Amino acid sequence: MRIEKCYFCSAPVYPGHGMMFVRNDCKVFRFCRSKCHKNFKKKRNPRKTRWTKAFRKSAGKELTLDNSLEFEKRRNIPVKYNRELWSKTVEAMKKVESIKNKRQARFILNRLKSGKELEKAAAISEVKKNIHLIRAPHAGQAKQLEDKMVQKLAEDVEMDE
Amino acid sequence: MALYNFKKIMVVPTAKDFIDITLSKTQRKTPTVIHKHYQIHRIRHFYMRKVKFTQQNYHDRLSQILTDFPKLDDVHPFYADLMNVLYDKDHFKLALGQINIAKNLIDNVAKDYVRLMKYGDSLYRCKQLKRAALGRMCTILKRQKQSLEYLEQVRQHLSRLPTIDPNTRTLLLCGYPNVGKSSFINKVTRADVEVQPYAFTTKSLFVGHMDYKYLRWQVVDTPGILDHPLEERNTIEMQAITALAHLRAAVLYVMDVSEQCGHALSQQLELFNNIRPLFANKPLIVMANKCDVRKISELSEENQKIFADLIAEGITVIETSSLTDEGVMQVKAEACDRLLAHRVDTKMKTKKVHDVLNRLHLAVPTKRDQKARPPFIPEGALLRRKAMEMDAPKRKLERDLEVELGDDYTLDLQKYWDLMNPEEKQDKIPEVWEGHNIADYIDPEIMKRLEDLEREEELREKAGEYDSEEESEDEEMQEIRQLASQIREKRKLKILTSKEKDTQGPRMPRTAKKVERATLEKEMADLGLDMTDKDDSHYALRSRSLVRKRKREVSAPPTSRTRSQSASRPPRDQSGVRDAKMLKKVKTMMKSSQKEMNRQGRKGESDRHVFDVKPKHLLAGKRKSGSTSRR
Repeated sequence: MRIEKCYFCSAPVYPGHGMMFVRNDCKVFRFCRSKCHKNFKKKRNPRKTRWTKAFRKSAGKELTLDNSLEFEKRRNIPVKYNRELWSKTVEAMKKVESIKNKRQARFILNRLKSGKELEKAAAISEVKKNIHLIRAPHAGQAKQLEDKMVQKLAEDVEMDE
Repeated sequence: MALYNFKKIMVVPTAKDFIDITLSKTQRKTPTVIHKHYQIHRIRHFYMRKVKFTQQNYHDRLSQILTDFPKLDDVHPFYADLMNVLYDKDHFKLALGQINIAKNLIDNVAKDYVRLMKYGDSLYRCKQLKRAALGRMCTILKRQKQSLEYLEQVRQHLSRLPTIDPNTRTLLLCGYPNVGKSSFINKVTRADVEVQPYAFTTKSLFVGHMDYKYLRWQVVDTPGILDHPLEERNTIEMQAITALAHLRAAVLYVMDVSEQCGHALSQQLELFNNIRPLFANKPLIVMANKCDVRKISELSEENQKIFADLIAEGITVIETSSLTDEGVMQVKAEACDRLLAHRVDTKMKTKKVHDVLNRLHLAVPTKRDQKARPPFIPEGALLRRKAMEMDAPKRKLERDLEVELGDDYTLDLQKYWDLMNPEEKQDKIPEVWEGHNIADYIDPEIMKRLEDLEREEELREKAGEYDSEEESEDEEMQEIRQLASQIREKRKLKILTSKEKDTQGPRMPRTAKKVERATLEKEMADLGLDMTDKDDSHYALRSRSLVRKRKREVSAPPTSRTRSQSASRPPRDQSGVRDAKMLKKVKTMMKSSQKEMNRQGRKGESDRHVFDVKPKHLLAGKRKSGSTSRR
């Protein structure tokens, strides 16, 4: 029993799910759901369909080259069962998984960093241009003026005295 | 060679049918419409065509008959003789000759009349000529009635002849009637020849096929032969004689030891000696049949002497019984072997030997030195052979185990696995963990690689890659962000209100709209200005002026009646209402009836207008990960 990868979106296809299409040149295509199958029949290129993993990897939106990704690889030469090897492998899998997730998250975070700068600049320019929508140019100036006048009067009075 | 053609001879129609067919064909296939006012060459051509067409048809069919029937000189002499016996060679040749003559006559007739028709000067003349021509052709054919009938019968009989191949291996059975030839052929082959107690049950030749030493053999059953001279033999016997004469076969002369056929052994011996010349150059076996009734040893002295003489002459005598199958196989084997040897001998003497010699002669290479070179047999083959011979006790099979355990048996193939630690054979192997296939991670060097990875990860952590960057933004930046969000919200609201305004109708200038004091003050207050006690401001004057209204005089009473009526009539929401309680009830009824309308934002009862027939948020959008049955 194996969990396959969907040809179109690279999602896991569990046993009992999805569809398999075998072409005349003996190439096998597995699909996780009818959405992918229908897109495939429409001859869409998964590398250009934005929501698929193939697109994301080819457009550099996700981590592609990394040592932690090299652990999971389809091997053609079977290895004879050996209890300790298998148990060690399961332990190793868990560790590798955690490292991989960390690295993938960090990659995406780094990618989004530049967006933050742009956000900052946009906020500043927005405020500069359109402050008049929420605040009148001389919002507190009347009061200020009054206070100033009061102060001046008071000074005058003082001077007079 | 000629075998297959016998079945493919064209049907010979009777004279009447023949004429009918041809004439009706002429009528159908040639044009039928002609008028006397046509041009004469056209009329002539029309009738000439008919004559020629009829002639052509006759010619074709007769030629086909002539070619289909076998020429007695061309076929194998066995068939030639057989046909002679059955159908009389002379009669056959005569019939075909007649047909040929008829064909030529028809051709001549047609030629003559076509020539005459060239001089026909009217439709009537040409038509008469055509009639005459066709009539003569048909008469010629009518005279061939007998020949055609005879040929048809010959054809039918020919097609039913058994397909005897004169060149292949054959066994021929002969002897008196009722001695057991047909029973023998029934036993040895799949043929189903009639066996009855009366003489001449078998009236013609029958063929059966059998297999021996991976070869196909023909067994020919003949009708019984009686003992008279050749000239006095009837057709049926002649068939047997023909077969004997022409087929190069092994002869099985069948004798009835028990004399149940009605003829004494001495008579059978007489016959044997009479047809002896026919057995020259053929392997001969004498079958002493019906030995279940009486054996040779039970016979009288003279009879036993007969057989002794035969054996002394070198002829094989085998006792057989078709009933008990005694000796049948022996006869078969003996006859076939001897015939094969005979055929090989004959082939060796002919010129074609060299083609076949490689099949008859095994070439062995000559030794060039004294070194022994035995054939190489691999050891495994030798062991296997020894094991087969010895019948060694086999290892315990799964099947044996199954039988032993009965219901408790489960097929456990894991016990045959070849692992490094045999105690792990019964382990349940995990295949999947959290959506990943374990088989994809299995690698003998996985621990080493994992160590490298962890080391790398440590280095990265040390380098500070994973530090969470909490940007401590200064207060200014936070304030700016807040202001920016407020600005955006305000803009959106403004856009929405501007979308909601009514764009139909004339566009009035801003001054036509009256600005409420309260809204103005509220807006300005939102923008941060101080709007308290602004009663004296310029924009508040208007409202003041509205308060100070001019005092009006009491209005004059209405002059006309209608005016007075309208003045005296009570307003609608008070007419019919008796008291305050009823008024209150009426008012609530009015309000509640309007509730639903107002809730739906309708202008009135009759407003059924739907603003958004196809709301976008329900119908548009991409298909996210969900099923297709609902959006």
